[in-house]
Amino acid sequence: MSPRRAPREPSGPRAHGGALGSRGRGGARVGVPPGTGLWRLAWRRLARSRVALAFGGLFVAVVVLCLLAPVYAHDVAHTGPDENHITEIVHVGGKTEEVVSPTGVPIGPTWHSRFFLGADANGRDVAVRLLYGGRNSLEIGALATLITMLLAVAIGTAAGYFRGLTDGVLSRLLDVVWAFPPVLLGVAFGVALAVGGLHLGVVTLSSGSLLLPAAIIGVVAVPYVARPLRGQVLSLREREFVDAARVQGRGHLRILAEEILPNLTSTIVVFVPLILANAILFEAALSYLGVGVQDPAPSWGTMLAEGIRLTPGAIHLVLAPGLMLVVAVLGVNVFGDGLRDALDPRACGAAVGRSLMRLPAETSLPAEAPWPAAEAP
Amino acid sequence: MNKRSRPLGLFSRPLGLSSSLLAVTLALMLAVALGACGSSSSSSTSSGSGDLSAKSPTVTVLMGTAPDSLDPGLGATTQSYEATWLVYTGLVTYAHASGTAGTVLIPGLASALPSISPSGTTYTFTLRKGLHYSNGEPVRAADFAHTIERAIKLGWGNKQFLTSNIAGAEAYDQGKAPTISGISSSESTGTITVKLVAPFGPFLNVLAFPAAGLVPSSTPLTPLPNDPPPGVGPYKITSVVPNQSFALLANPQWAAQPIPGVPSGHVNVNVKIVTDPSSEAEQVLNNSADVFDYNDVVPGALQPQIQAKASSRYTQEPTVATEFFFLNTKAKPFSSQPAREAVNYALDRPAVQRLDGGMLTPACYLLPLGMPGHPSAPCPYGQPSEAATAANVAKAKELIVQSGMAGTAVTVWSENRPPHKEFADYYTSMLNEIGLHATEKVVAAAAYPATIGNIKNVNPQTGWIAFSQDFPNPIDFYQLLSAESISPTENHNLSQVNDPHIQSELAALGPVPSSKLETVTGRWQALDEYTAQKAYIAALGYDDAPKFTAERINFPALVFHPVYGNDWSTLQLK
Repeated sequence: MSPRRAPREPSGPRAHGGALGSRGRGGARVGVPPGTGLWRLAWRRLARSRVALAFGGLFVAVVVLCLLAPVYAHDVAHTGPDENHITEIVHVGGKTEEVVSPTGVPIGPTWHSRFFLGADANGRDVAVRLLYGGRNSLEIGALATLITMLLAVAIGTAAGYFRGLTDGVLSRLLDVVWAFPPVLLGVAFGVALAVGGLHLGVVTLSSGSLLLPAAIIGVVAVPYVARPLRGQVLSLREREFVDAARVQGRGHLRILAEEILPNLTSTIVVFVPLILANAILFEAALSYLGVGVQDPAPSWGTMLAEGIRLTPGAIHLVLAPGLMLVVAVLGVNVFGDGLRDALDPRACGAAVGRSLMRLPAETSLPAEAPWPAAEAP
Repeated sequence: MNKRSRPLGLFSRPLGLSSSLLAVTLALMLAVALGACGSSSSSSTSSGSGDLSAKSPTVTVLMGTAPDSLDPGLGATTQSYEATWLVYTGLVTYAHASGTAGTVLIPGLASALPSISPSGTTYTFTLRKGLHYSNGEPVRAADFAHTIERAIKLGWGNKQFLTSNIAGAEAYDQGKAPTISGISSSESTGTITVKLVAPFGPFLNVLAFPAAGLVPSSTPLTPLPNDPPPGVGPYKITSVVPNQSFALLANPQWAAQPIPGVPSGHVNVNVKIVTDPSSEAEQVLNNSADVFDYNDVVPGALQPQIQAKASSRYTQEPTVATEFFFLNTKAKPFSSQPAREAVNYALDRPAVQRLDGGMLTPACYLLPLGMPGHPSAPCPYGQPSEAATAANVAKAKELIVQSGMAGTAVTVWSENRPPHKEFADYYTSMLNEIGLHATEKVVAAAAYPATIGNIKNVNPQTGWIAFSQDFPNPIDFYQLLSAESISPTENHNLSQVNDPHIQSELAALGPVPSSKLETVTGRWQALDEYTAQKAYIAALGYDDAPKFTAERINFPALVFHPVYGNDWSTLQLK
């Protein structure tokens, strides 16, 4: 006879509260037929949140544009992201203009295929670098999010499930990381690893590798996810279905895999866009400060750093990456808010939800920044 | 060795996510807007630190890079010398004048220029009488030996000029002798005698370094960067806040012991470190600071405003300084001469000139304009003032293939300050274009000289560097290519050149005094042409420096010194 499994709940302890029929973000009551699966239910709620979907679409559009960077560079701009055109001349609207003036001021947007968004101090096409830079920024954001989630889930579940010495050691480790302001810690790691890269046993990351800033951001963000997960696991491990699994003689790993983790899924899913948004911003901050993406590779952060010194003469150099950063981060963040509401409708206005449900903050889905947002470059 | 820094020398409580992102977004846009408006939050500069004399006005001088040290026994960058040469006068010093006149050595703490033995190895000085340090302590002849020993013991960046020339200095450096045997003094007569191991032409110039400016014998043999020792000069250094600010106040002892040719100064000086050249230039343009750092480049974006609002207080002054990429001859791919030549052929020097805001004269020789021995022959790699032609680039590609180095990985080093990072971006792109596989490493300006000077751990293949004269003698520049300058750390010969021809020429030309350089100009020219043909470096050009002040400064009266830049002792208000 196969053992009875616990129901898959969006957020274990709160599934008893009866989320069905709660208010969506737009305030409309969602009618739910009996037997509707949780994920389908969440999708239906999400589908009603047009704002979230619109912003999600915006983010997807940014991603697609960035993925098409090589096509744009090759077929439209006819130049690569690192190609210098300092002493070249372009013809714009019947006029001849220098790409970079003798005093070092680059050309502004031409609104033509070449130098559509202008050039930078090295005569490089800003539009091309913007798209390639976006690839780097998004790639680092995604990798950092993956690293954070893997480490945070492992540490958070182990600490919460095993408690005792394991919890003590892991929690203190998280406290150590938590004790430092994240950007400061990121910069410290970045500076320390800038020249020699990272050599940790078999793990070797060269200083120019995109994996390095991704690893730095990923590690720095771990406590901000691991701690809420630990709190949730502490609660889950006391639940009846976990007791039942233990009585049936199942091992720890099996209980974690079959009972605990599935009940964390929705929390993890909600964390992903929030971490991603912050990771993109964090990358921009580190690159702005020179310890993220290494030159001459572009990223939105490095482009801002390069552009700021040429303002006000070449303001396009900060506006272009700045706006892309805003659009991408706002897109993924608003979508993340919608996703959270869809998976945990009672968390709409998390503070209200918490006070009504009398839930400890650690067991709630993340309604707020999982860690202090990166400083603006 | 005067490496320039510029030009070398060398983050709380969680917020709501949405609100935090919006805050970040707004901050970002605000930063953009502020940058666009060219605002400056610097306060007015007429008030100085609390220690200032009520009588003396105070001006604010901006520096883009902090001095490496304000202890004269340690400081070896242009930023350090610019301040310390007004505080630590040596037995000889430079005339406080612009142009060639500023390269003339005059007696400093010595009553006259020294008598030199016929063999050129013994220098005898007589100390002026009645001299006192800024703390009131009397100056003694024995202080000179202590000063030189201290500079050696502390590891002054140019100590090789002392250890390789003064008899017994090397033994002292190695701990084999308690004192320097080649220096003796007599308190009764005020005589100081210095014996050299061999004649060295520019030895008097070496003694004009601030590191040879006397400090009391009681000064400890430990670094004092934040509380520099007393010296003899028109100023004393106070209020040092590392990497932020320091002040030069009038030396209360100076009025009673004026030294002919060394001005007393008219104003007290507050120095502020402002690392962003745009902010620095805006502050001076808006008159919220008084003097722009001559080691920095005024951003091209501000040039129109300067022409419109400040043309009477801005000039470009020629300096005796060369910017170049070093090419490590001991590591692939630049161990191959064709590969080095390829770099020289493909370099688009006018492009680099634009990256430098027009403040560079494109050139391909190490010895700059204004330095005796600067070659008159045409550049072997084409006219430097013209952009690299397609034929030159094609030739460069051919040379790379011929050298067997195609596809070799190269790391290009640079500091993070503009325009040097941009130089490195361009250079990396160019190296990739001619068939190498180049990547870049950019490090903080303050750490850059030490990083690239570390053969043991870093051993850089190539990178940007700039060098401005320590003294007006070409041998100063050739320390950069002398085998004797190669060391595991603090390496000055970044190309790691060990060429017998250069070594023999330096041995022959070294003893020629600076005052007789005209007799060997042709030989120096030939040597520099040889160096260019060997492509030991890829020279970019020679620097111009901005002389840029606030309206209230008497601009014509400010001396731009050929060795030490803006002479703060000539600063005065209108």
